[in-house]
Amino acid sequence: MSLVPGLGIAKGMALTLRRFFEPKVTVKYPEDRRDPPPKFRGRLQLLYDEWGTLKCETCFQCAQACPIECIDMGGMDTRGRFHVHWGAPETYGERREESALRRSGRPVPDPAYLPFATVDMSALDAILEDYDHDPGAMLQILEATQAAYGYLPVATLKRISQKTGAWYAMIYGTATYFQHLRFEPPTATEQAAAMDAHRPSEGSYLTALDAALGSTARA
Amino acid sequence: MVDLLTTPAAWPAILLERAGAEQPTDLDAATQAGAFDSLRRVIRNFGATGSIAIIGQSGLRGRGGAGYPAADKWRTAATTDAPRRYVVINGYGADPASATDRYLLEHDPFTVVEGAAIAAFAIGASEVFIAVRTEATEAIRSLTAAIGSAEDAGLVGLDVFGSGHDIRVTVRPVQGAYMLGEETVLLKALEGKRGQPEQRPPHPAERGLFGMPTVVQNVQTIAAVPWIIRNGAEAFATIGLADAPGTILIQLRTAAGDGIAEVPLGTPLREIVGLGATLPMGRSLKAILVGGPSGGILPAELLETPYAFEPLRAVGAHIGSGSVIVADDRTCIVDLARLLTRFCAGEACGKTIPCRIGTRRLTEIADRVVDGRPRPTDPQLLIDLSEDIVASALCDHERLTTLPLSTGMRYFRSELDDHILRSACPAGVCHPIAVASGAIS
Ligand SMILES: Cc1cc2nc3c(=O)[nH]c(=O)nc-3n(C[C@H](O)[C@H](O)[C@H](O)COP(=O)(O)O)c2cc1C
Ligand code: SF4
Ligand code: FES
Repeated sequence: MSLVPGLGIAKGMALTLRRFFEPKVTVKYPEDRRDPPPKFRGRLQLLYDEWGTLKCETCFQCAQACPIECIDMGGMDTRGRFHVHWGAPETYGERREESALRRSGRPVPDPAYLPFATVDMSALDAILEDYDHDPGAMLQILEATQAAYGYLPVATLKRISQKTGAWYAMIYGTATYFQHLRFEPPTATEQAAAMDAHRPSEGSYLTALDAALGSTARA
Repeated sequence: MVDLLTTPAAWPAILLERAGAEQPTDLDAATQAGAFDSLRRVIRNFGATGSIAIIGQSGLRGRGGAGYPAADKWRTAATTDAPRRYVVINGYGADPASATDRYLLEHDPFTVVEGAAIAAFAIGASEVFIAVRTEATEAIRSLTAAIGSAEDAGLVGLDVFGSGHDIRVTVRPVQGAYMLGEETVLLKALEGKRGQPEQRPPHPAERGLFGMPTVVQNVQTIAAVPWIIRNGAEAFATIGLADAPGTILIQLRTAAGDGIAEVPLGTPLREIVGLGATLPMGRSLKAILVGGPSGGILPAELLETPYAFEPLRAVGAHIGSGSVIVADDRTCIVDLARLLTRFCAGEACGKTIPCRIGTRRLTEIADRVVDGRPRPTDPQLLIDLSEDIVASALCDHERLTTLPLSTGMRYFRSELDDHILRSACPAGVCHPIAVASGAIS
């Protein structure tokens, strides 16, 4: 008990008043957006659709995207293999197309599948043959694929997954890690420039180093 | 193309002994000069345990930065029970400002191949991978040619020297990230996985490539092996320091140019700096950056520091990539430290919190100081954060990333204070926003 009656309340009000005039740190999302740090990967949340079904497709992408491999899941992957970790398998076990059909009542053309159709797989199959379908040679397979197609079309990654038995998500993880592997045809120079701006490439590091040392004249 | 610097005639040439050969990939010339003699003697005379003992007596330590005794790795790999074992030669050369390993691979591929074959024989491995960065086309070409002709002569490949041992040597080009130089990351890349470091222990010598015992050795470490077998462990042990014998390649970079040199370990920094061209007219030496992007920024007063593992660690630098960069008085230390920290943070793999967030916060502190928006608490924050990163890091990269800023602060505190307290850059490099002095009292 304080000696002066009401002092505690007054103190509390004073704090409130002070806070009231302090600058606000809350960002009015979505009007204001902060630039996320380059390595920000977003908050994790499993969402349900309007039919009450989990939207998760058990693609294992998130498990593979997590740099410290803390995410895992239970159920059947899209290749029909079963993994038990947690949760009832039937929650996860559907194929992508089926769930799209059930959710909307009609077959939904999934944009993620659009670029699949047209790629000619014969070059890739030859590459896979060369490497004996060995998932241990994944980096070389991906590099050879990129050399053959100019980039890594999604369909080729799927094919590599089917033929080597490596998880699609593991292949995706490898392909996204290495800076020289790309998912789009190498058209835009802007794209390269944008990457440069985010990740200090070696050339710009050396230039900056020389500039910091005062010898800008040197190449 | 980088040049060789002229070194005092009394300095021994171990790594660059045959690097002057006109045709580095000419097997006949190389064998006449002694190439593959050591491998023959290891197989015929010394045996596996005998050779590990010789390397142990020589005191050879890793040249890739950490300075771990080579023989200890070999012994662990040899005695760990496993169906297969591997030798991986780290020729990645992560630091863009250092081409020492590449130089060696280009100019004397046979010594590297021979050293790797000796290691493979000693630990009972039949497969050697030499990892080189894809951009080092000349090194890849010369290694491929060297391995091809050595294979044709039966010096590596199947049934080496008729011993019944197979030692297959393969060049593996890798590219795509600075972190690939770190050994566990390199192994991941060789397995075709994402390049992120692994918790150690188990060390690669116990569980490495494809889960098998793997000796990972830097190019220079392995290039010293044939010399040691040929000249004896004692001859090697008398060169350099008692606890860090032998020589090492450095790449000196000054405003006047670049150069590579072989120096005995323990050579004072002053002598290394003296190998290069003198500073431009009217300029004075302000600092030396030792160790690469994550190196320490040392003041001129520390020029007597011996160039070796422990003495450099003690002053906040490290051998790292063998890069020694001279900064003259045009350099702003804070600006330089920010550049280095930013590069290292950008290259951190993102696996752990000190790596993903800690290094980023370090960069932000440096940004604030350079841009003239520092907080009064920033120096203390820098100290605390660096300590936390060092204590909680998964791999060495994050630990070392703290070095540029922490040495910058340790040795050039007044320059940092000028930025923080007076919004001034004594070297005239940064253009900090003039802050009303009251705002940061
Ligand atoms: C970020 C980072 C980069 C590295 N880069 C290289 C490199 O380019 N070349 C190298 O030989 N070692 C590099 N290392 C050291 C290796 O992890 C490893 O210690 C070394 O290859 C082992 O060989 P050694 O014992 O012969 O030195 C690096 C380490 C770290 C933490
Ligand atoms: S644990 Fe992985 S996915 Fe989760 S927040 Fe951290 S980095 Fe992101
Ligand atoms: S764990 Fe990411 S850089 Fe070390």
